[in-house]
Amino acid sequence: MTERIENIRREFTEELSRVSSDSELEQVRIKYLARNGLIGALFDDLRSLPAAEKPAVGKMLNDLKRQAQQAFDDKRSTLEQSRGSREPAPDLTLPGRPRPTGTKHPLTQTMDEIKRIFAGMGFSVAIGPEIETDYNNFEALNFPKDHPARDMQDTFFISKNVLLRTHTSPVQIRTMQRQKPPVREIMPGRVYRNEAVSARSLVSFHQIEGLYVDRGVTFSDLKGTLVAFARQFYSIDVKYKFRPTFFPFTEPSADMYISCFLCAGGGCRMCKFAGWLEILGSGMVHPHVLQNVGYDTEKYTGFAFGMGIERIASLRYGIDDLRMFYDNDVRFLRQF
Amino acid sequence: MKVSLNWLKDYVQIPLKPADLAERLSMLGLEVESFEDLARKFDKFIVGEVVEKRKHPNADKLTLCRVDVGREKLDIVCGAPNVAEGQKVAVALVGATIPRNQHDPEGGPFVLERAKIRGLESNGMICSEYEMGLGDDTEGIMLLEPSARVGMPLAKHLHAADIIYDVEVTANRGDWLSHIGVAREIQVITGKRAVLPKVKIAQSRVSARKHATIRIADARKCRRYSSRILRNVRVGTSPRWLQDRLSSVGIRPINNIVDVTNYVLIETGQPLHAFDYDTLAGHAIIVKCAQDGDRFVTLDGKERMLNSDILMICDGERPVAIAGVMGGANTEISEQTTAVLLESANFEQGSIRRASKFLGLATDASQRFERGVDIEMTVFAANRAAQLIQELTGAEVLQGVIDVYPVRAKPRRISLRVSRTNAVLGTACTQQQVIGFMKRLNIRPSSVRKDTVVFDVPSYRYDLAEEIDLIEEVARVYGYDNIETKTSASVDFSKPIFFTSPVDEVRSYLIGAGFNEILTDSLQDHESGYLTQERAVEVLNPVSSEASVLRTSLIPGALRVVQNNRSRGQNDLRLFEIGSVFDVRDERLRESVEGYGEEERLLLVISGRVHAMHYALVERQVDFLDLKGEVEALLSKFCLDKYRFISYDSGSALIDSGLAVEINGSYAGFLGKISKSIAERFDIEDDVLVSEFKTAVILKESITEKKLRALPRFPSVRRDLAFIVEATVPQERIEAVIRGTGGGLVTQVRLFDLYVGGQVGAGKKSLAYALELQPLDRTLTDREADEFVGHIVRQVELACGAKLRSL
Repeated sequence: MTERIENIRREFTEELSRVSSDSELEQVRIKYLARNGLIGALFDDLRSLPAAEKPAVGKMLNDLKRQAQQAFDDKRSTLEQSRGSREPAPDLTLPGRPRPTGTKHPLTQTMDEIKRIFAGMGFSVAIGPEIETDYNNFEALNFPKDHPARDMQDTFFISKNVLLRTHTSPVQIRTMQRQKPPVREIMPGRVYRNEAVSARSLVSFHQIEGLYVDRGVTFSDLKGTLVAFARQFYSIDVKYKFRPTFFPFTEPSADMYISCFLCAGGGCRMCKFAGWLEILGSGMVHPHVLQNVGYDTEKYTGFAFGMGIERIASLRYGIDDLRMFYDNDVRFLRQF
Repeated sequence: MKVSLNWLKDYVQIPLKPADLAERLSMLGLEVESFEDLARKFDKFIVGEVVEKRKHPNADKLTLCRVDVGREKLDIVCGAPNVAEGQKVAVALVGATIPRNQHDPEGGPFVLERAKIRGLESNGMICSEYEMGLGDDTEGIMLLEPSARVGMPLAKHLHAADIIYDVEVTANRGDWLSHIGVAREIQVITGKRAVLPKVKIAQSRVSARKHATIRIADARKCRRYSSRILRNVRVGTSPRWLQDRLSSVGIRPINNIVDVTNYVLIETGQPLHAFDYDTLAGHAIIVKCAQDGDRFVTLDGKERMLNSDILMICDGERPVAIAGVMGGANTEISEQTTAVLLESANFEQGSIRRASKFLGLATDASQRFERGVDIEMTVFAANRAAQLIQELTGAEVLQGVIDVYPVRAKPRRISLRVSRTNAVLGTACTQQQVIGFMKRLNIRPSSVRKDTVVFDVPSYRYDLAEEIDLIEEVARVYGYDNIETKTSASVDFSKPIFFTSPVDEVRSYLIGAGFNEILTDSLQDHESGYLTQERAVEVLNPVSSEASVLRTSLIPGALRVVQNNRSRGQNDLRLFEIGSVFDVRDERLRESVEGYGEEERLLLVISGRVHAMHYALVERQVDFLDLKGEVEALLSKFCLDKYRFISYDSGSALIDSGLAVEINGSYAGFLGKISKSIAERFDIEDDVLVSEFKTAVILKESITEKKLRALPRFPSVRRDLAFIVEATVPQERIEAVIRGTGGGLVTQVRLFDLYVGGQVGAGKKSLAYALELQPLDRTLTDREADEFVGHIVRQVELACGAKLRSL
């Protein structure tokens, strides 16, 4: 029996090696591998063997069957491949035809994200011109002439009473002059400061201003709104604090700080080892500002806030030179 | 401003750790930017004596010193020219942090290590004033008094066991620009009263009034002038304690008289000036304005041009000081001075600010006057200075203060409603709480009615003028952190909410179309600003000539971006920018402020290869039709077929040739190729194609209301037509005739072949079009289609001189 198995193995191998066409292959299959083929017949003979020999011979037979089938399958693949040499299978690993990829500037992305969050809180977007009057930029916002508060914002002048806006706050004036309360607007835009350009200071940059004036608006609402923003923008469990400061157009005024998200409050270069990052300025709209646009200060109160987009974006993306935003190296732009 | 903790303790108890004090002050709005523990700063610094000095064998400018530091003698290599045997010096031991590095342009700190310098080991460093952060002298090492004790920690020798706070004073709080002002803020934290010291002077019998006359000619600008006269003064160096105090807050000691005036300034915030009494002509002081064009030499030796708005202090003959800004050289305290007239005056804020701005001269005095100095402080400050000078020099203080105070300031009263306070803050403070907060600020209730409390405001609080100012004080003392953070809010839906602008959609489209958004500076150099025909808006006070003119077009800024990218090997660019341009008095522009126009534009820029290198694509540079295709796609998306191209001569040097775009009859922008000369100016060798639009026109004509048009229910029919025409006939004409003739039935006309060559004859070209005929109400038979197309062919032949070419 063992000898017969070895003979059939040898014959099968030899015949298979001579196969060169599909029909020959089929003949080999019928002769050896089909149900009534030679290998099948060996299984029939297995039954007549003494029980003691059955396991060993049975294993040999099973091996033969498995090996023969494997050899047959390989042969079939080889035949198929040789047939395909006239029409090769497409190489799907070739690179696809290139398409250009567009990107939104990181500053626009940051502004859009901030707008989106405030829109969810009912704020509309308003814009205003970059060339402004001294009145809208300063006087209406309670910066008296000859007051040191004006030194807080070094100004580019176009003429005696016309300037490049130093902040987006004049849009507050324009918005309130145009409509009666309630006012709930967010005002993005470009602003200018007459300062030496460096990694941390630019002559023109972007701000987003917010304003909410209505009956019964309190400092408590200011905190709530800005904390809600910080939770959405930074992280839901962000730590925060509000610190008194001075802006002519708000009173009380507050700088908002959040726990540094780069070092989790432990202290790093970005937060100057304080563990806190200043993210925006805010305050209750000064009654003089409301009076200047003809609002009744006994009826209405409100809060305003503003933040520098370059600062917010640079913290967010880990950019330590603000000039990169305006250099527009495409290798930089394509990262966003 | 620098504030010394030791100094503050003269006026108020401070039961707080240094770091806690910093945090608490910051939380009151007096921001502590940083603080420095001087003792720690001079850790591992020690008083040493140079016992031996030898030349360094390997370097001309170096010496090898043996320095006795008490417990041992160290070999130290020194580079200072002034080092000598027997000197007492400040020695930094290995491991010390040197506050400032003389060899670093930024002057950053560094940790001293044992080092070999030109082959010799150096076990420490003999420091200069600059390196110690004690002054600006970098020339030589700092020499200590011969009495300094060798081996003593330097901090102890310098009496430097102090904490120095660096605080940022906001523009509204002039009263914080003094140690008593900061001490009063600490009173708010601790409740422990801040008080100025009692002044005791031994006055002589001689009356000051008999020795000087003081007259204020301009009582609006000079609100008060108080003066003390001292005789038998000996000008000299101040004692150590006084020098140390001034140095600790960053003021350089000069002589005992000037040092005392500075000391009182830092203590009280009241600027003082000391005149050499004997140099004052007629021993008179007259306060009046200068005349336009007057010149005056200030203490710093500089001649200043004056104007008639600048208030001057004059003697009987001439000006002797610029009021509130700086004294004059002519009456300066010198070593010969034996009598002093002390000025302790109060000047109007705006006037000092204007003078300081005009002169470009900001001083410790002007900075305080423009923020407001306590008008009730003049007499105290004069007395305090007189006392100190007397203590230091044994001077005779003449009887009485000459105090000219033309219009006595009224005490300020402000009423505060508790209900209003809570309405602004969202708090629930009681009247008693509010009164308690105010008392901490030295603001006392003068009358209490139901809801309203009238408060008397201290004279030094110029920032408090009305109710809201007191509400802010309540908030500060109550603590911003203690005000509720309201976590619920309502949204008002009675008005529409606009949170995206239409231009955002254009931006999104372009990003999808593979453009990178750029943002460029709107301030440009003069030349770039004038590349267009517009009159550029110029800045009166530019920070540099590179940023002196507002852009009139987005193109120059974008060319700079192309240039920069090319210099870094990035040549294949698809960029866009949305931003404002500006010009002088142009009515076409949307926004105009005082005759300055401002308009939002959209710029598309393509340059370099059409696509990245790829084995299956032919490499090709972008050309005009690539850009035109982008523009057509953009406009079709937003304005459907409401746009058309017209021939265009920009008249500017920027563009060689191009097309203008009209949308519904309004000029919307143009597209074209950057001219050779401009490209060369930006070192760009490849073609750059640009298209600049007024976004307002695109958005005005963009389709905002979208309505479904029914899809065709019948099959469309395609017919191809080729025409031979004169080569000069523009394609557009033929296409227009096909469309015009086709009416609604021809829904698409696509040029699929353009051929110039032998087969069509010289001076001719062949244009082949694929037409789609789409009937709405039935299926078109072949015959109908052929007849219809035949009609189109005849029209084209007639209108364009075309001949049908058999395909």
